[in-house]
Amino acid sequence: MAYSFPEEVLEHVFSFIHSDKDRNAVSLVCKSWYEIERWCRRRIFVGNCYAVSPRIVIRRFPEVRSVSLKGKPHFADFNLVPEGWGGYVYPWISAMAEAYPWLEELRLKRMVVTDEALELISRSFKNFSALVLSSCEGFTTDGLAAIAANCRNLKELDLRECDVDDRSGNWLSHFPESCTSLVSLSFSCLEGEVSFSALERLVSRCTNLRALRLNHSVPLDKLPNLLRRAPQLVDLGMGAYTAELRPELYSRLGNAFAGCKGLKSLSGFWDVVPSYLPATYSVCAGITFLNLSYATIQSPDLIKLIRQCRNLQRLWVLDYIEDSGLNALAASCKDLEELRVFPSDPFGQEANVSLTEQGLVSVSEGCPKLQSVLYFCRQMTNAALFTIARNRPNMTRFRLCIIEPRTPDYLTLQPLDAGFGAIVEHCKDLRRLSLSGLLTDLVFEYIGTHAQKLEMLSVAFAGESDLGLHHVLSGCKSLRKLEIRDCPFGDKALFVNASKLETMRSLWMSSCSVSFGACKLLGQKMPRLNVEVIDERAPPDLRPESEPIERLYVYRTIAGPRLDMPGFVWTMGDEKSATEFS
Amino acid sequence: MLISVLVTLNNMLVGLALHICFDGGYHQMSECEMVIIKPEVMKSYIWLQTADGSIQQVEEEVAMFCPMICREILQTGMGSSKNYAISLPQRVNPSILSLILDYCRFHQVPGRSNKERKSFDEKFIRIDTKRLCELTSAADSLQLKPLVDLTSRALARMIEGKSPEEIRETFHLPDDLTEEEKLEPLRNTADDPRIRLLNRLYARKRKELREREKLKNVEVEEERVDERSVDDLLSFINGGVGDSKGGKTAKHKKKNRRRKDQAKGTALNNVSKISKKEPEYLSSECNNGEAGNIIESSSSKTSKVQDVAVDSLGPKVEFDDGDIDDELDPAMKEELDREVEDFARRLNSDWPERMQEILSLGQERRHVPISMNGNGSSRRYTRLEQRCTPMDAH
Repeated sequence: MAYSFPEEVLEHVFSFIHSDKDRNAVSLVCKSWYEIERWCRRRIFVGNCYAVSPRIVIRRFPEVRSVSLKGKPHFADFNLVPEGWGGYVYPWISAMAEAYPWLEELRLKRMVVTDEALELISRSFKNFSALVLSSCEGFTTDGLAAIAANCRNLKELDLRECDVDDRSGNWLSHFPESCTSLVSLSFSCLEGEVSFSALERLVSRCTNLRALRLNHSVPLDKLPNLLRRAPQLVDLGMGAYTAELRPELYSRLGNAFAGCKGLKSLSGFWDVVPSYLPATYSVCAGITFLNLSYATIQSPDLIKLIRQCRNLQRLWVLDYIEDSGLNALAASCKDLEELRVFPSDPFGQEANVSLTEQGLVSVSEGCPKLQSVLYFCRQMTNAALFTIARNRPNMTRFRLCIIEPRTPDYLTLQPLDAGFGAIVEHCKDLRRLSLSGLLTDLVFEYIGTHAQKLEMLSVAFAGESDLGLHHVLSGCKSLRKLEIRDCPFGDKALFVNASKLETMRSLWMSSCSVSFGACKLLGQKMPRLNVEVIDERAPPDLRPESEPIERLYVYRTIAGPRLDMPGFVWTMGDEKSATEFS
Repeated sequence: MLISVLVTLNNMLVGLALHICFDGGYHQMSECEMVIIKPEVMKSYIWLQTADGSIQQVEEEVAMFCPMICREILQTGMGSSKNYAISLPQRVNPSILSLILDYCRFHQVPGRSNKERKSFDEKFIRIDTKRLCELTSAADSLQLKPLVDLTSRALARMIEGKSPEEIRETFHLPDDLTEEEKLEPLRNTADDPRIRLLNRLYARKRKELREREKLKNVEVEEERVDERSVDDLLSFINGGVGDSKGGKTAKHKKKNRRRKDQAKGTALNNVSKISKKEPEYLSSECNNGEAGNIIESSSSKTSKVQDVAVDSLGPKVEFDDGDIDDELDPAMKEELDREVEDFARRLNSDWPERMQEILSLGQERRHVPISMNGNGSSRRYTRLEQRCTPMDAH
């Protein structure tokens, strides 16, 4: 006998359940829960905008207030997805403009957003309050001006790593004088100048402003005024951190920082002049996130800064930090949870800095809470990986990027299979892994056997045969995203594990050995997958079927093949495509 | 009307201070209303009646803590005596009522600290699921919002982290969504294809064993290992694909029905039904000899087309588990379980070796062109990812 509730009661219970995973579980319990849940779902996350259509989402969830969408696959960040592939947000906006007049929040990642889309957003949703665009492109500052001008209750406007055509600095001036609602304003990826007076006035009147991330056009001497107007800031992204050495600027800066007692996050730091860094010291003790990935300062200056930040939890830094800096980090920052070390000279042939595997080992020893690592380096050993694995079984994200492909263990000249094997064996909660270095099929066997919580795997220049891919697809229970480039993986592993692909969000394979014939077969047999062949050379049917294609993108979908493909993308198994090939 | 003073043999309520007068005046207790006065006990009581008819009395201040009761008293004047007991909503049974009243009794005392209240609440909700559900419903009907929130949150915590099946078990809910409906939601959870295969296999086996029972003279052929290469299997499938009706690939030879095992039959069924749009079928059956999971089916011998008795396993079998009745005798069931277990074990343990075998048959190494940063874009890389090698970044 079911424990029954009236609907309102159940709805009230559901209002305390927030995570997508839990809400999805709730909706699959039984018919009545499904119905109740769909009417009270307010936030929706669509990990692949082509997995479902706007119409289906709207039909099922009529009362949504917050939508998150992701478009292009992750490898688009490395220009592996040609321009024009897709990920257009306009169809979603236009559908939602009619269906969700009360929409408040929109979060988009790797999507193509046009000025028209932005204008439509600004006109259609009366209570619109948050627009977050990450790694998006296709719009200009005119679109931003529309958002600024028309969204009366805008709280959040965040542009992160977007590719924006910067037409003028006037977009900021489009915020009406009556706008006082901003809580977060982030435009660090814009290249052009902004009107400083408009910015200052805006910051002054938005007394709830918590996050402000400027672009590098805002000079250092403007910063003290801004900070004085916003002492309540929690997250600051500075503009250019450079100026001639002027004591009065230095002291103004120091005083301004001292006034921002709640500051927790610092970023920006373009063109840093080290002598100005101590001006930030008064707030460093409270800093939990430090983003120095644009700061071209050397290790000694970095060490001085880091030593001030004893409560640091997340550090993003260039490899100028070197092993010595990482040793200092390990000694000073015991609360460190996340470390990202980016390469200062990725295309250089030789190491320009003294950053080795030792730095990472050091941090893994000294920082007991370390769980997320992104590390670019030029050398690694199995022994180092063993040590890291044993030190940090709590690791959840481990992305190692040895810059030169197929680099072996530099001491033993062996592949790094055993080292990565140790990582997946010891770190039982590992959710994300990126491989690099010289790797055989063995590493994939280890991954398939041990990495049971792994959700995302990135592979490049690794493996020897289809067996490698087979191990991963047949072994990793929780796998959702798999992206592969330049590996000798072909058709067989795909066929054997075709039904696994339906349990994943997506699979990307470029410069591998997948044949056109295999793609066709896969597309025909698996109607719930979109099997996209992306080939800029020529229509694949003009070549032998056994010839490998350039890129394969497979994703599960209930929306069927998409209709907005450019000329170099074909969806396999689609009736329409089939008739194009005689 | 007044809230009149309740006079009983046991409890004398003399609450001049508690009188609330609608007509604006005070009602002095006349001598006839007083029977016994216990000086130390000065309380007002409210009478409440639950749906089952039973009536109980409750201290007034406790009862008034419930908005619904409070409103009833103030608006209708009910509750003053046994005959005029306030009827509580149906969702409030006596045992739940007593729980609720405990809650009210505790919280209506003004002096308590937040810490005390929180501690009480935490202990209070430690009851079994059934009662927690009843309590939530009841609290809602009495409009006792703090208790509704407390119990709702507790229920939410019980739901969080569970799978749909676990939630159903916890709350004794029916599994009444169809497969299609289950698919339609935006699922993020992984679905183990092997488990689905096993379920399908199990169902099919049961059906087949039932058929055999009917026929009475049965010889079960052991599942044989398929030693064909993947390429062979592929070309076999390709031969069957172009055929929309599929009838040609499956010959109905009833006399051979007994000799083949059901996996074979379904393999060819699958082949012959490739053009059918049943998504359910294609995804779960593809393990049996077509594009998906070819190797899984390789333990069944599929070479003899004419051995297939398509009609023994009609087109609906694979899709419709509801079809299968559970009336196998225990011995058969045991045999069935063993066979399925065996198959599962073989699936799990043999895969790597078998895969190696199969892949090594007729495999040619293809040469992969090595390209590093394969793009010639000249855009200025301001984005962090673009400054990094294509190996990885964010």
